[in-house]
Amino acid sequence: MRTFSNKWSSLLVILCTFLLVACSSAPRLESDAIAPRVKLPDNHEELGILSAYTDPWEGFNRRMYYFNAKADEYVVLPIIAGYQQITPDVIETGVSNFFNNLGEIATFINSLLQLKLSVAGETLTRFALNSTIGIAGLFDVATPIGLAEQDEDFGQTLGYWGVDAGPYLVLPLLGPSSLRDTAGLAFDNLIYQDVIDELKMNTEDELFISLLDAIDTRASLPFRYYASGSAFEYEHLKLLYKKYREIQVAR
Amino acid sequence: MRIFSVLLIILLSACSIKKDEVALLNTTCDLAYSSYQATVTGYCQEAAADLPQSLNIINKRITIKPLNDIPEVFWFNKKMQYSLIKQDSQAPLIFIIAGTGASYESAKMKSLQKSFYQQGYHVISLSSPTFANFIVNSTNITYMPGDLAHDAEDLYRVMNLVWAQVQTEDEVEASSFSITGYSLGGAHSAFIALLDEQKQAFNFEKVLLINPPVSLYNSVTILDEYFDLRNNREAAVAMFDEIFARFSDGYAAQESSNFDQGSIFSLFKNANLTEAELKLLIGASFRMSSSDMIFALDASFNAGAITYKNHRINKFESLSHSMQRASDVTFGDYFDGAMLPRAQRLDASTTKADLIYRYSLHAIEDYLKTSKKIYLVTNQDDIILKAGEIDYLQSIFAERAKIFPRGGHCGNIDRISFVEYLQTTFQGGVN
Repeated sequence: MRTFSNKWSSLLVILCTFLLVACSSAPRLESDAIAPRVKLPDNHEELGILSAYTDPWEGFNRRMYYFNAKADEYVVLPIIAGYQQITPDVIETGVSNFFNNLGEIATFINSLLQLKLSVAGETLTRFALNSTIGIAGLFDVATPIGLAEQDEDFGQTLGYWGVDAGPYLVLPLLGPSSLRDTAGLAFDNLIYQDVIDELKMNTEDELFISLLDAIDTRASLPFRYYASGSAFEYEHLKLLYKKYREIQVAR
Repeated sequence: MRIFSVLLIILLSACSIKKDEVALLNTTCDLAYSSYQATVTGYCQEAAADLPQSLNIINKRITIKPLNDIPEVFWFNKKMQYSLIKQDSQAPLIFIIAGTGASYESAKMKSLQKSFYQQGYHVISLSSPTFANFIVNSTNITYMPGDLAHDAEDLYRVMNLVWAQVQTEDEVEASSFSITGYSLGGAHSAFIALLDEQKQAFNFEKVLLINPPVSLYNSVTILDEYFDLRNNREAAVAMFDEIFARFSDGYAAQESSNFDQGSIFSLFKNANLTEAELKLLIGASFRMSSSDMIFALDASFNAGAITYKNHRINKFESLSHSMQRASDVTFGDYFDGAMLPRAQRLDASTTKADLIYRYSLHAIEDYLKTSKKIYLVTNQDDIILKAGEIDYLQSIFAERAKIFPRGGHCGNIDRISFVEYLQTTFQGGVN
């Protein structure tokens, strides 16, 4: 199973590299096209935040964004809707809490890696309380008593140690990311995989758990593609993502 | 007006994955009051009204014009979107029109939907004719949005189609019709009411203008000035960076990495924004809405202002250059460069002053004075009103005017005293 998926992932990497470079987003102009009347400022820096982040892989990213929007509409959201319909709210919350609790392990490791000892301590206490009194994480008993949920991932850890975010990258189904954060995601996923392995489940159960995790993640995200109605949504989201990560890393 | 949605604030609220908002809505804030603060964060010093937490909203789509006529870049905007909230049996129906650049499901629309549903109304919510989804689906290719009388005709056509659709598809039975709208949508409501006096499709029972502009031109001139990139680009850009820096400092000092309503208020409190900074946020948010509007118009009308003329924009094409161009375009430019030339093409003798008058409540003053079904509610310190315009509104609407002392522009729509006002005004409608 491992080698099989490894082979696929290396193929995928090659394909993506090709796509990243090959796709263009520059307008293909008709012969009678006339340049816009409103001019851009000569000095690009004058645009401030609007030009703060370059997007060398824009061609690929825009196609992926479109793919994600379509996949969300026709596949992902119908599944989420079905899930929410058949699952009572209590169970939905329980599932959410369960996966959040597993996620604390990565948060714990990453806060240690960033030398944030108080965050690590708080996260560890949360994990201990929720895993025991909270029955394997199904109930979040830590938040009400003032132990706040933290959010640290390996992308932030890399950022903390000075790794630049790199180009903006839209991932299949997962959406906005950057080169650095994608690497971080892969690392966090390894931790998560080890945790799942600890649970000693068979392949089908593991698959079920991963699927449920994915559904839960999407279900708790209120974002809907093009709900803003703006043609510039891609630009806005890119800006927000880059800025938000900067702020998170600075934290 | 989509004033709440400055980049920054979307950042703060969109990233809050936890849905604790409902529980925390009733918290008041201890921010220092100003009309700008109330416009940005809401008049949170007053307690929120007791409104339903969620509604059974039916999101609807309607074909207004052949979908192939809609530019490819708006592939996600084919069909006009609106929403219906239905009572169980026959009931009065109210149309709500959104403000400048806002959709049928903006935050302010949601507050109004809750109030009117609670009051026993069927609620139909429509986007503003300045919202991209409305623009690209509209059959109008002659007039620019903001031309109130023609916007009203456009909206009236849509309202008729939508009403027919909900009757057949959702079996809505209406005992009477009313109409309201906030900000620009308030001004639209007045012009629609006047149009309906001739066409009589709805015979509105009540019409309520919420925080309307008196003169569209005056109001947008005020908002343009808040975000002056042309004369003062460096200062504006620097101020943005400064605001961001202060918010991220506040976020870094925060206990938890999550956001909820309470932590957003405390971020604002700690950021301690100056009046100039609040104005910048309001102006930037307005510019974001108007950029979307101008792009939609440019693509639909092939006007060539911020897009290439005679060019079909591919759905994977980069639009960054258009967004950057649009960031510079003030509403004043739009008025002089698009609205005026278009009006003059139809009638060469039209002057700028004519248009400014036509796009204001002054143009239908006599009707507003005499029609007993029209009501007005606004705030003494509404930032979009020029000096003297509050007095003008008071004199025109007289006893049908309700002017709250505080709230800025639409900052109090979901607050106790405002919702109580809606209840008293629309009491008759339920019977």
